[in-house]
Amino acid sequence: MKVLGVAYEPRDAGELLRAASSLNAEFHILAAGRAAENAEEVSKYASKAYILKTKSPYSIFKAVESLVKQEGYKLVIGEGYRNLRDALSRVAGSLNMPMATDAYSLEVSGESVVVVRGFLSERARMKVEVPLPAIVLFTQRFTEPAEPLGHGSIVELKPEEGPERVVEVKPKAVGEVNLEEAEIIVGVGRGFRSKEDLKLAFELAELLGGQVGCTRPIAADLKWLSEDRWIGISGKRVSPKLYIAVGISGSPQHMSGVQNARIIVAVNKDKSAPIFKQADYGVVADLYQFLPVLIRKLREKLGR
Amino acid sequence: MDVIAVLVKASLNPDVIRVEPDGSIDVKSIPLKISDIDRNAVEEAVRLKQKLGWKLIAVSVATWGPISARMKDLKLAVQEALAKGVDEAIVVADDSITPGDQLTTAHAIKTALEREGVRPKLILAGEATIDEVSSQVPGRLAALLGYNYISFARRLEVEGGKVIAERDLEDYVEVVEAPLPAVVSVTQEINDPRPPTLLQIRRAARKPVKTVTSSELGGLEKPRRRILEVRGIQVKRKQVILEGDSLEEIAEKLIEALVKEGVLRL
Repeated sequence: MKVLGVAYEPRDAGELLRAASSLNAEFHILAAGRAAENAEEVSKYASKAYILKTKSPYSIFKAVESLVKQEGYKLVIGEGYRNLRDALSRVAGSLNMPMATDAYSLEVSGESVVVVRGFLSERARMKVEVPLPAIVLFTQRFTEPAEPLGHGSIVELKPEEGPERVVEVKPKAVGEVNLEEAEIIVGVGRGFRSKEDLKLAFELAELLGGQVGCTRPIAADLKWLSEDRWIGISGKRVSPKLYIAVGISGSPQHMSGVQNARIIVAVNKDKSAPIFKQADYGVVADLYQFLPVLIRKLREKLGR
Repeated sequence: MDVIAVLVKASLNPDVIRVEPDGSIDVKSIPLKISDIDRNAVEEAVRLKQKLGWKLIAVSVATWGPISARMKDLKLAVQEALAKGVDEAIVVADDSITPGDQLTTAHAIKTALEREGVRPKLILAGEATIDEVSSQVPGRLAALLGYNYISFARRLEVEGGKVIAERDLEDYVEVVEAPLPAVVSVTQEINDPRPPTLLQIRRAARKPVKTVTSSELGGLEKPRRRILEVRGIQVKRKQVILEGDSLEEIAEKLIEALVKEGVLRL
């Protein structure tokens, strides 16, 4: 069986190789986006790497469509970046293929693929079976990268221009953050009494090399922080190694956004707050008293 | 008259999940509601309809059966869109395509539009629905219809036969334009949808809703996805409450625990 992995960031290549390696398949990579700027690196993870220097979903759609048609890939895998959701949903429509997104794991059994995926806004897992050929998009960072294989061949493809024209590209304004990438996140909630007081959380996050996220009221109602920091069902879904929830009660709407955090710490003065049942480590204390102590202790130990 | 279509889904409501003692979830026990992001799509479609003077229709395909038990929820979702300013609605409801998948839904929308003789210049949808969260249907539909597709729009304008949109991507924003006809999926940042007023709801009851079955549409693609199992996520956290004589001691214990877990490096 031939499997095509569509890499968008360079690290995707190793992760997709790990997913494919259990399938006993011939594995090739199509690198687009930032992955295409690292052709040498990406080519270490497949026997063949197609390089497509573009982020355009239309161009990625056309390239994958023609590779599937010409090379007979039975399974196309990738991670759930917005441009890949866009491009591969169009491939799925055009070639009439089933597609599963938000996948955590994948097995091939005979002529079909069994996928476990996020469902009901990440509050449930759904196990589904779809016939091959199929497309599967994993959640970002669903696994650790595999070891490189050596050097595969590199084939550069020319992106096909689409009818959609990019007029302007703007980096997200300073202050906008990328919580999906953060390894440590300090989350703030209504336990903070004013916008100025959030500086405690920012100080802690900076000390740990992390980012600050927040609950819905902080971003949407009080507008103390921008919406790109809003974590939860209608905000971002994050998967840091460490999530420190400060002054957060632990509503399901918020907690569904941090379900994939490895370790959750809760600081809340209300010992009956639901957050403590959803945390690994709980500190029952007033955040205004505890955070300064924690910050001081960390400064001592980190020598900063 | 030119037409805008907006896609509306009666989605499983993730806020009302009942997990059985064995961890399983019976999706038949979960009520349906209009997907939150569809409200943004409807709000935007109504705004454009008023600006352009086009006709606005909603298309809804029932994904979750049995239809007889779901009809009330399906109607409520569509009624909300009608109350907000949609002129008429087409609902595809047939047990032969439930539980549906995105392949089926996209085909059903295309078929229903064609059967009705409607060729919208613009089709709006939410970036994803709150149950599946897969963002597939708009892209599939665009490919099936041969329309241009702009995804994840947080701002949208229609001018001189083209759409101009601001696409919200992970780490940047891009302004794109594409000629009509086009499918556009919108994010929740695009507007702030208000609930319909009582008067709007009352008026909506008189608007035409056409409910069609698979055979009335000349047959539909059957779902290819088989759902083997749905399970609630069991949160297995350690739930250790750190205690001590002073906050200093608790802070020490916390730092020690985080180092041991390998999530903090000193």
